[in-house]
Amino acid sequence: MSKPAAPSQTPLIQVTDLTKTYNNGAGLIPVLREVNLEVYTGEMVAVMGPSGSGKSTLLYILGLLQPPTSGSYRWEGVEISSLGRTEQAEFRRRRLGFVFQACDLLENSTVYENLEFPLIYEGVERQERPPRILEALRKVNLGNRLYHSANLLSGGERQRVAVARALVNRPQLILADEPTGQLDRRHGHLVMEHFEEIIANGDTAVIIVTHDPDIAARCSRVCPMEDGVLHGLK
Amino acid sequence: MRFDDLVRVSLRQVVRHRRRYIGVVLAIAVGVAGFISIFTMGQDVKKNFNQDLAFIGGVTIIRNVLEFRPQHPITEFHSDTVKAIQKIPGVAMASLVGFERIKGFWKGEPELFSVVAVDENFWKMRGLEPRTGRLFGLQAVQDRQRLAVLGTRLAHSLFGTDDVAGRTLELDNDIYQIVGVVEGLRDINMEKSIFVPLTTATDRFSRKLTTDRLYVRCATWDDVPKVAKAIPQVVQAHQSAKNLLVEVSWENLTHVKRVAFWIEFFIYLAFASTLILGGMGIWNIMMAAVRTRTREIGLKKAMGAEDQDILAQFLTEALCLSLAAAFVGVVLGRILVELLGFWIGMRPPEELFFTCLVISLVFAVALGVGAGLYPSIQAARMEVVSATRYE
Repeated sequence: MSKPAAPSQTPLIQVTDLTKTYNNGAGLIPVLREVNLEVYTGEMVAVMGPSGSGKSTLLYILGLLQPPTSGSYRWEGVEISSLGRTEQAEFRRRRLGFVFQACDLLENSTVYENLEFPLIYEGVERQERPPRILEALRKVNLGNRLYHSANLLSGGERQRVAVARALVNRPQLILADEPTGQLDRRHGHLVMEHFEEIIANGDTAVIIVTHDPDIAARCSRVCPMEDGVLHGLK
Repeated sequence: MRFDDLVRVSLRQVVRHRRRYIGVVLAIAVGVAGFISIFTMGQDVKKNFNQDLAFIGGVTIIRNVLEFRPQHPITEFHSDTVKAIQKIPGVAMASLVGFERIKGFWKGEPELFSVVAVDENFWKMRGLEPRTGRLFGLQAVQDRQRLAVLGTRLAHSLFGTDDVAGRTLELDNDIYQIVGVVEGLRDINMEKSIFVPLTTATDRFSRKLTTDRLYVRCATWDDVPKVAKAIPQVVQAHQSAKNLLVEVSWENLTHVKRVAFWIEFFIYLAFASTLILGGMGIWNIMMAAVRTRTREIGLKKAMGAEDQDILAQFLTEALCLSLAAAFVGVVLGRILVELLGFWIGMRPPEELFFTCLVISLVFAVALGVGAGLYPSIQAARMEVVSATRYE
């Protein structure tokens, strides 16, 4: 288990009274109920709870993939919950990295091409891309898989490539939705080792959504979630 | 997203899924190739088509007669008048003809023959071919040779056979050698006639031959009205045109033009349908691509792609498809043009092909944008969460 990082003065993200409600036609269904959360750079926070507790919704809202119904979402003290679509996209590619459960790599593409997309959207010069991609791949020990087809990688390798892709734009926050959900125990721990190495540098935070207590135990902080209510705050 | 990245990524996507796209690309390519060959070779094909149809209906032939009228002296077409008429834009050829009844002898008995004195253009003008033997040409006319070609009915009534080449006939105290029998006259009086070189008839017949008929063939039926209008003015400029009668088969011309219009219309309609179907194919295939690549779209948006990046990528993929189809179509079209040119024996101006090339490319861009825009907008508007959760 990694040691909790020393919190800096200003939290990287600060969520206050965040709610999310869906309308299913028959009525309003609350998914998140007045969630409060602070995460500091260098922390790895686990949001743990059963299926349907709202943890993935929280992750999507933190990743600006979904708007909250109400509440405040501050990034380094600046309110960002009301950004427009273009600004949200710009924010995502500059500050956030995502790792999804389903080892989402672009099919029929090489590892290099998968990692190149965030750099393409960021407008990074072509000659700068190979060293950055290689650097990200080396962090997950896949420096030798640069031009391999994503379709031919094992499940564990695919997820490590997904981690590398989340890292390639040097984000401040990595959001991982059940990153080990489809991996065996050995590969799951390998991925967690990579996350631990990432936060060890002290300039990135990681929020992991999981229902696996072993994975949560390796995080700096665990925030249990149940019926849209987040416990163990701050 | 930078333009070079956009093109590279889109092209890569299209190339990797080429099997999915090949049917649509070929459909559009065939349409483009058809358009190029029709557009480039259209004028030449039309001329040939005109000739073929004109031979059937004689619709591009203008018959000019200097009529006999009691109050006017007998007139005939002067050679400078004929030359001037040949220079009227739209005139393909002109043929001067004289008709006469000439006394001859057959099996020792006097006989009155219908003789048609013609120049070397007459056969081509009327689309005539020899049934047996040959038809006399420029050399025979220039050398004033005593040669004769018989109509089929006359050949049968005199000799009981078509095979008369090499036999002789006495006309106006001269012996003429028969060189062949002509077919395709479609005029019972002409089928009973003897055809001799115009110059020979002018020189040798005891009665003065009056060349009062001039047949003018126009290059296409579109030229007929303006040539028919110009002929009286040209004749007037060179000789008296008071008794000039210009005859055009207006009714046949209208009918043939109507038939040709519908043929042309249906040809273009077929190509347009091919292209529209190709466009619908692109639309359909792009919609399917948006559906099957929903997770990819969500993933790219999560990576920071803006709506316009997604829109641009799908639109560029549609453009790559339509431009690839246009490229294949242009190559096919060029091959078709070369083959048609070889077949018809004509070569269209090179600029016409390049005009087609530009039109095809512009059309391909319009088709790609037109067919790819809606699916691209659908992709761009996709919500990230539902896209990443799409199964």
